[in-house]
Amino acid sequence: MKIVVCVKQVGALGDEVEFTDDERDVDPDYLDYALNEWDSYATEEALKLRDAAGDGEVVAVTVGEEDAEDAMRRALAMGADRGVRIWSDELVGADPITVARALADVVRSESPDLVLSGVQSSDAVQAATGTALAELLGLPRVAVVTKLELGNGTATVHRELEGGLIDVVEVDTPAVLTIQTGINEPRYATLRAIKQAEQKEIELREPGDLGTPASRVRRMFVPPKGEGAEMLDGDASAVAQRIKELVDERMKS
Amino acid sequence: MARDPRHDILFEPIQIGPKTMKNRFYQIPHCNGFGSEKPMSQAYFRAMKAEGGYAAVCTEYCSIHPESDDTHRVSARLWDDDDIKNLGFMCDMLHEHGALAAAELWYGGPHAPCMETRCVPRAPSQIPSDFEHLTYPKEMDKDDIRMVQGFYVEAAKRAREAGFDIVYVYGSHSYLPQQFLTPYYNRRTDEYGGSFENRARFWRETIEQVRDAVGDDCAIAVRMSTDMFMGEAGTQLERDCLPFVEMCDEIVDVWDINVSGISEWGEDATPSRFYESGRMLPWQKAVKSVAKKPVLGVGRFTNPDLMVEAIESGSLDIIATCRPSISDPWLPRKIDEGRLDDIRECIGCNICISRWEIGGPPLICTQNATAGEEYRRGWHPEKFEEAENADNDVLVVGAGPAGMECAMVLGKRGMRRVHLVEAKDDMGGIMRWIPQLPGLGEWARVVNYRKIQIDKLKNVEFIPSTELDAAGVKEYGAEIVVVATGGYWATDGLNGCTHDTIPGADSSLPWQLTPEQIMDEGKEVPGERVVILDNDGYYMGVSLAEKLASEGKKVTLMTHLGHIAPYMHFTLEAPNQHRILHRLGVEIVTYHMPTKFEEGRVLASHVYDEHGHEHEFETDAVVLVTQRRSNEALYRELKDTVGLDALTSEGISGFYRIGDCEAPRLTADAIFSGHRLAREIDTDNPEVPLPFKRERRVVEREALAV
Repeated sequence: MKIVVCVKQVGALGDEVEFTDDERDVDPDYLDYALNEWDSYATEEALKLRDAAGDGEVVAVTVGEEDAEDAMRRALAMGADRGVRIWSDELVGADPITVARALADVVRSESPDLVLSGVQSSDAVQAATGTALAELLGLPRVAVVTKLELGNGTATVHRELEGGLIDVVEVDTPAVLTIQTGINEPRYATLRAIKQAEQKEIELREPGDLGTPASRVRRMFVPPKGEGAEMLDGDASAVAQRIKELVDERMKS
Repeated sequence: MARDPRHDILFEPIQIGPKTMKNRFYQIPHCNGFGSEKPMSQAYFRAMKAEGGYAAVCTEYCSIHPESDDTHRVSARLWDDDDIKNLGFMCDMLHEHGALAAAELWYGGPHAPCMETRCVPRAPSQIPSDFEHLTYPKEMDKDDIRMVQGFYVEAAKRAREAGFDIVYVYGSHSYLPQQFLTPYYNRRTDEYGGSFENRARFWRETIEQVRDAVGDDCAIAVRMSTDMFMGEAGTQLERDCLPFVEMCDEIVDVWDINVSGISEWGEDATPSRFYESGRMLPWQKAVKSVAKKPVLGVGRFTNPDLMVEAIESGSLDIIATCRPSISDPWLPRKIDEGRLDDIRECIGCNICISRWEIGGPPLICTQNATAGEEYRRGWHPEKFEEAENADNDVLVVGAGPAGMECAMVLGKRGMRRVHLVEAKDDMGGIMRWIPQLPGLGEWARVVNYRKIQIDKLKNVEFIPSTELDAAGVKEYGAEIVVVATGGYWATDGLNGCTHDTIPGADSSLPWQLTPEQIMDEGKEVPGERVVILDNDGYYMGVSLAEKLASEGKKVTLMTHLGHIAPYMHFTLEAPNQHRILHRLGVEIVTYHMPTKFEEGRVLASHVYDEHGHEHEFETDAVVLVTQRRSNEALYRELKDTVGLDALTSEGISGFYRIGDCEAPRLTADAIFSGHRLAREIDTDNPEVPLPFKRERRVVEREALAV
């Protein structure tokens, strides 16, 4: 049983925020870094499957600069067996499709039985990388997974829908599953495990052809505060009448 | 971070007489156990507040003459030239930080027992103290009045010489000037008693004389209680205080306004159990409405929004704090820097005050383990040296008050990694449920402050819902292990009275309960009648009595002691707690100790009954508040079964325990033990506290040789 878990080091905003000079990102001085919360659940799920299988390997893969190894080490401290970090300067500010292309090469070369990622990352919140990766690999994909049981060449998967609905699907494996928080209780790493993780191998790989970016950040800014909010008083018909007038005005302009 | 502009008004300077305060933060007079006899501790303690941004800092009550000797309690003293030197050093340190120094000149009258000086205090009338039993004053004739006024003048001159910028003529808490103003103390028929003008005469004359002596150099402050809550006999706002303010406004530079007398001064130093912040604002506002001079006052203010409101609503000009300045001497600075979530808010437990009431020991603070330790241990509440063994990883087992404090301070000392591992799903230990007791909600600040700090420390990780056994600790991978597994209430009636269990006591039975079972585990108290046995004597027994009686139970509170909850006398909580229990119809049984519990009844006998006659108390349930025990199973297993050698071979070089796990104690002391260990984690033997500097005279034997 070989499982690849795609993990990401995310930045969390403090009380104050400044942007970089080119206004395309948050100044790293204002960020605290950690392993993406969803990815800790994906890692835990992979570890549980490996342990249940009795043998196998969990490989954590990330795209990021050298300091992203801190998050990778957290996954290794939880119990992942080894790590692969993908990086080149072309990946600065990469969009999810580009990141997925970088991941796809590595995942393909690992030939895993299953690929897990978090549903989304807490900083960019696009929820696109996992799905894009599945498309690039030509594998089935299930998003927002809340329960997972492996069969023989298949997996029975619960996926979360709007309004608390659960859709139970069966997919062929290998597949790419994006894991929702709450699916398990991620384990804490003991100090010993953290120390041992420092000794585990993290292989650095160059990405293959990254293609054309699907999108790029043009500008990041704090939205200006709106002005002139108008409170509508009166009974329902008066309010409705006023709304109609406003809509008509805006449609004209 | 920058200051919130809404708080700007707190940082506007204000003129008081010949002096200028740089902002609106003032440390009200309050005791610390140091007085004039421990001048270094005194100076460093007060200076921490000046460093923390206070514009003016006052002594505790400062005796003007040996006739005003409060021993066994500790006051400051300005009796002679040596006192000028000792308190002068405090002034120097305050000035160094740009703060004004204030001295609260005090003459206690009948409340000063003069146990050290053996003097006889003087008073308006010969009435024994309602606060200090068996203390009789002599009634002052006019020569006495002149002489005592002379004491004030001479003390004010000494205060000026020491470097004080503000001198008080202190009346609040029923001390001499206010005794003259108050019919309860003043039964005179001469021109110093009777009418308002006569009762006000002594105080007014004394202010005039002090002002004539030092008024060009020092601001003159008057501290007055505006309501004693004793009807006609006590000082009253409308009848006495507002006319007094109008009469003396010209000769006073700043008014310090509070309420209460001395025997129930918890109405001023309000426990959070009964009062929220700002409870005296109506009286302060009333004075401010007639005073042209600035008005200052306390209200256990920790929230800058409330401080701003107090000023903007015309209640106060200057925000005085006592307990919040002990809990966080850097309160002004943190507001100025916009670091509101770093404020260590006072919880209003009054454990600080309890030390003065006990008479003598240095103050302690539940929230601030460094309070009083500034000089003697060299601890700074906001500064932490990197530990010499900071390259070590630490495991702290148990996230109660001691464990949280220890992990936080170890984090601030830069240990490589600190793991705070807790069996429950959140931090707090006993402080998860104690704030659920009636009136104790603010005690949750103990947890909240530490939780926020720990969350900010990147090298400290909190690991919930994880119960470590000995093997888990051994193999955890830490170089230093701190066991902080807390304590629990005895389940078998073991107690400090008989030093034995009580026949029939067993909290596994459905009708017997411990405090944790009620508050933390949701065990139902069966039936209508409940006997609470309190051999502890602090807040737990009475709090549970209040809770259960409020829920409709018929409660009998039994203790072997002569009073229920005697420690709450020291924290000033006793009077109102008695009122509540009385109102709820709780039956109080003192001097009784159970001899046997049986389903449906408790048998108990009077502790001084030589024949041990048993009385029967019918009941449906029994609550065991007998004594606490250390939860030391993990510690003992690691030390005795696994053994220190095996721990050493796992790379564990330090193995300690803190807090209730070592011995059950006050929360303030549990937190102190966690703090102390973390401060001294890099000493030769962190288990044993380093000696602290002792302020005392050391004799030169050779020079004294006879």
